[in-house]
Amino acid sequence: MLVSKEEIEHVAKLMRIDLDDHTVHIDRVQKMIEYFDILDKAGTESEELIINEQPLENLREDKYEPYGDKLIDKLKHYKEKFVRAPKMV
Amino acid sequence: MNLGISALDYIEAIKNGEFTVEEFVSETFDQIKKVDGKLHAYLSLNDKALDQAKELDKKRKAKEKIGSCMGMPIAIKDNICVKGAKTTCASKMLEKYTAPFDATVIARLRKQDALFIGKTNLDEFAMGTTTEFSVYGPSKNPWNQEYVPGGSSGGSAVAVSALESVVSLGSDTGGSVRNPASFCSIVGLKPTYGLVSRYGLISYANSIEQIGPMARTVKDTAFLLNVISGIDPNDNTTIDNHGEDYLKNIDSGIDGKKIGIISEMVGKGTDNTVSSATKKALAKFEDLGAKCEEIPIDMVDYSVASYYTITSTEAGSNLARYDNLRYGFDFDLEGYEFNSYISKARRSFGPEVTRRLIIGGFVPSAGHAGKYFLKALKVKSRLTKEINAAFKKVDFLVAPTVPILPFKFGEKLDDPVAMFLIDFNTVTANLTGKPAISVPFEISNGLPIGIQIIADSMQEKSLFQAAYALESTTNLPKVPL
Repeated sequence: MLVSKEEIEHVAKLMRIDLDDHTVHIDRVQKMIEYFDILDKAGTESEELIINEQPLENLREDKYEPYGDKLIDKLKHYKEKFVRAPKMV
Repeated sequence: MNLGISALDYIEAIKNGEFTVEEFVSETFDQIKKVDGKLHAYLSLNDKALDQAKELDKKRKAKEKIGSCMGMPIAIKDNICVKGAKTTCASKMLEKYTAPFDATVIARLRKQDALFIGKTNLDEFAMGTTTEFSVYGPSKNPWNQEYVPGGSSGGSAVAVSALESVVSLGSDTGGSVRNPASFCSIVGLKPTYGLVSRYGLISYANSIEQIGPMARTVKDTAFLLNVISGIDPNDNTTIDNHGEDYLKNIDSGIDGKKIGIISEMVGKGTDNTVSSATKKALAKFEDLGAKCEEIPIDMVDYSVASYYTITSTEAGSNLARYDNLRYGFDFDLEGYEFNSYISKARRSFGPEVTRRLIIGGFVPSAGHAGKYFLKALKVKSRLTKEINAAFKKVDFLVAPTVPILPFKFGEKLDDPVAMFLIDFNTVTANLTGKPAISVPFEISNGLPIGIQIIADSMQEKSLFQAAYALESTTNLPKVPL
């Protein structure tokens, strides 16, 4: 099944990929996805998925550990303890 | 001075005072100066390494105790964080990023007084098998500079092969340690998932990837695993190996062991030369007292599609953080709306990363997940069952590490499916979490061929024994530098 270019472009947009000069990628992505059709032949429909569940007590303790350096200093656009981002609306 | 000595011999020599750390490190830098202009193993060098070497010599002179690595030079793939060093992932996105902390593997090596020589080249964000996708240009294969060194940990393999370091670390998501190890004629291990902490490894597909040691000998690889393995509170997937010593009894041999040859990995698609080298390796195993039989693993034929579906999906979310606000900082915020700003910023990703991100958005999306992502997970699940069943019958599974010989630059660049199939023999170990090692076995017309041995989970100790036994049957030429 050939995936349409429009579908790929739509997903690219959702992934925040600017496609202005990326038409060459679309062709190649199409070929890559086409290869995945082989999964249809695996005959694994009845296979159950292994889901790896971790009980909370297996996780490390949720406690605050101060970090030596002031990491926020490494950012360019910040004020006090806020990161500056472009306008949302 | 012989820069080609093993890590274990280096440590002995330092202990016996045959040379100083400073002398060895200084000569290593001379070698880098001599060959790296052509080979391009390194993206950056540690300019404090010589001072650190002098410091260690001083401590030794004063009879202070120093760590077990004794200043052994090690090269680190540039997707592993070393505090204060640039960590670029060979991407424009991170070209100005300096890691503010040490990865757990780095902290452990530092504690044992290993010396970080520099950060090595890779395919951007470890996505590739040749280093051709590095934004800084590819590394060259020291055996023949017209050929790719393999990837994505190509720089780490070249550095060790070309005597620009004694050992190195790579990361292996689908063969990225084993493939370049095979192409450059060195040893590379992908440990059991969870045996080595991923804390400080920049994530690509975190459910299957592992940091792996690379060295010129099987013993050095085992030594390095001793240093870096074990449980880590900062990586919840790590397993307690109770301080296992992988070097102990490494020469036990494989008499009486059973070996399965994975039929699908030696079938069509395998180069004739690689095929005949594999047959020779199996004959050697039989000479050593092992019994070999062929074992079909049906799901192997679907493993590459499953692998790329799963890894692209995980890359899609792992790389969502690169938004130019926390990394990048290429341009000002004024005049942009949020989404267009981030999309513009994400143009810094190279072509392969861009493509995989698109795929990573597509295959798990509503309407497509059933056809792609869920099927990929089901293949992974069935493959794991098949491999587990195989390990009830045999001790090891064997196949050539890569089905083809090293190839020339540009040869596969325009054919994504041909690129996919290079990973055909390596992704199974990642999808099933099993440990796998590539051992250099033959040089055919000047091009290296490696043999891959896979063992059951947490069986690294016996895996090293098999690898050491195979290595002992070989007598390979030196790299033509």
